[in-house]
Amino acid sequence: MKLVAHSFINASGLYVNGTRQIDLTGEENFLKKAYSELNIDYSKFHKMDNLSKLAFLATELMNEVVSFPAEGEGMQLIFANQSSSKQTDMRFIDSYANQGSPSPSLFVYTLPNIVTGELCIRHKWYGENTFFIQPAFQSAQFIEQAELAFSKGNTQCLCAWVDAKWQGNEECFLFLIDHSEGLLKPTELLEIYKSYTHE
Amino acid sequence: MIPVYVTYGALISPLGETKEMHVLALKANQSGIRKVEKSGFNGEDWYLAKIEGLSENRFDQLFQKGCAALIQSLGKDILSSPSTRVILSSTKANLSDVETDAFESMRRLTIELLAVAHEPIVISNACVSGVLAINTAADLIRTEKCDDVIVIGVDAVFDFVVYGFQSLFAMSDEPCRPFDKHRKGISLGEGFGSVWLSRKQHNDFCVRYLAGSSSNDANHISGPSRTGEGLYRAVKRTLLRAERQPTAIDFISAHGTGTLYNDDMESVAFNRLQMQHIPVNSFKGYFGHTLGAAGVIETYTSLLSMEYNLLFKNEGALEPGTAETINVLTQNQQQEVTCVLKTASGFGGGNAAFLMEKLDV
Repeated sequence: MKLVAHSFINASGLYVNGTRQIDLTGEENFLKKAYSELNIDYSKFHKMDNLSKLAFLATELMNEVVSFPAEGEGMQLIFANQSSSKQTDMRFIDSYANQGSPSPSLFVYTLPNIVTGELCIRHKWYGENTFFIQPAFQSAQFIEQAELAFSKGNTQCLCAWVDAKWQGNEECFLFLIDHSEGLLKPTELLEIYKSYTHE
Repeated sequence: MIPVYVTYGALISPLGETKEMHVLALKANQSGIRKVEKSGFNGEDWYLAKIEGLSENRFDQLFQKGCAALIQSLGKDILSSPSTRVILSSTKANLSDVETDAFESMRRLTIELLAVAHEPIVISNACVSGVLAINTAADLIRTEKCDDVIVIGVDAVFDFVVYGFQSLFAMSDEPCRPFDKHRKGISLGEGFGSVWLSRKQHNDFCVRYLAGSSSNDANHISGPSRTGEGLYRAVKRTLLRAERQPTAIDFISAHGTGTLYNDDMESVAFNRLQMQHIPVNSFKGYFGHTLGAAGVIETYTSLLSMEYNLLFKNEGALEPGTAETINVLTQNQQQEVTCVLKTASGFGGGNAAFLMEKLDV
């Protein structure tokens, strides 16, 4: 398997294949700023929680350098994070504990896989997908899952580590792997992830 | 292709803690759903399938009970073998730890209590988590990553989830009635379900996992597709991979939550798949909707149907009535049960399915 492309977003910027495309340092609302910088017109973005916004933006940016298969055919989504939908969970608890009543618009975002749902809606993807919880970014698990996906006839895997622990501690590392010749090692993937997060 | 066999792990639910207790309860069509006073946000009395005797820390306690039952039924050796992996499936895990890490205790308890050789894999993909976990388990065995996989699905009833479904007007004010004409919504439940997938046969009653798949509706994050697109595609791919026709299927263990739109969506998908004549049930009328545990619990109970050649009535449906007509089981039915389709659908537009088939031994 081969790494085709990768993108990354956190409060410092929006990157693709290791290069910063948009500087977001010092932005009060870096997600909103990134959205406006990308010149996208997708009103559903504003309804999304931060977890979905992160993955949405990283995918939009990657889409500028690669094209995804129509209907996501043969492309499995392998997504993971550590804190599930924690940020929205806390906001939903606040809605009923302190604000008077449970908020339905928050509740529907209290599952991590809403992220993959949002991407499938945006891109009309009907492929296979699974959301995992990992104690930290586990490159080996992504690669193992990609092997499983390829063994079933898929030819690409769109993978993401997308985590939103609390306001200001949010990141999405998105990477596209395909089935072609090559041996992608977990260490290689981990190095790329680290190169983004330790900058 | 490397064969994959499916058999029982353990099951802890309001109906009992052993296989025998569940057989008896299901045969007698006993439901675990009860009225729970003042369980709603405004003091409403919702119907829930809660396990009696669980303390404040109910998730961890449920998980501990489940692990003890697993050790009892499978023995310690298989659990701690280096060629065994564990997959955990849960939507909210120990939600009372949400401020720190809701998924930490489940991982830790698996390592401590089951003495597993590898860190467990955790899947959290709404209501399709359990079916995805079983599909992932089979894929791990087929690609020779391991010989055995223990799949555990677990979720507990938390106010958070009750209030959430209440805010969506999805809670039924009577025990849920999946696929019924007058269904009013869901009854939440809690449970620990486990099945064991292996490349070896372990008993005379022998069921082979054939194939599975998943698909997104690409339609709405919380509303099911009106055309059942994702479910249709997930089942289509499953049939293709399993090299089976719909005519081979004896029984569908469907998702059937009891909400108007979900059950209609499933009826549409099954009609598109030419499966409207196949006996179908939802087990939610017995266990409530146990979220991340549902797919695993319902696989366990489908195995019971295969072992005893007995299809269980779709508890709660007095008068089936969905957008398209499907063959809802309104009473228990003794018949040969060889090939079973398991499906699940959930928030985020997720759908998943797999086929399993009994072998003559």
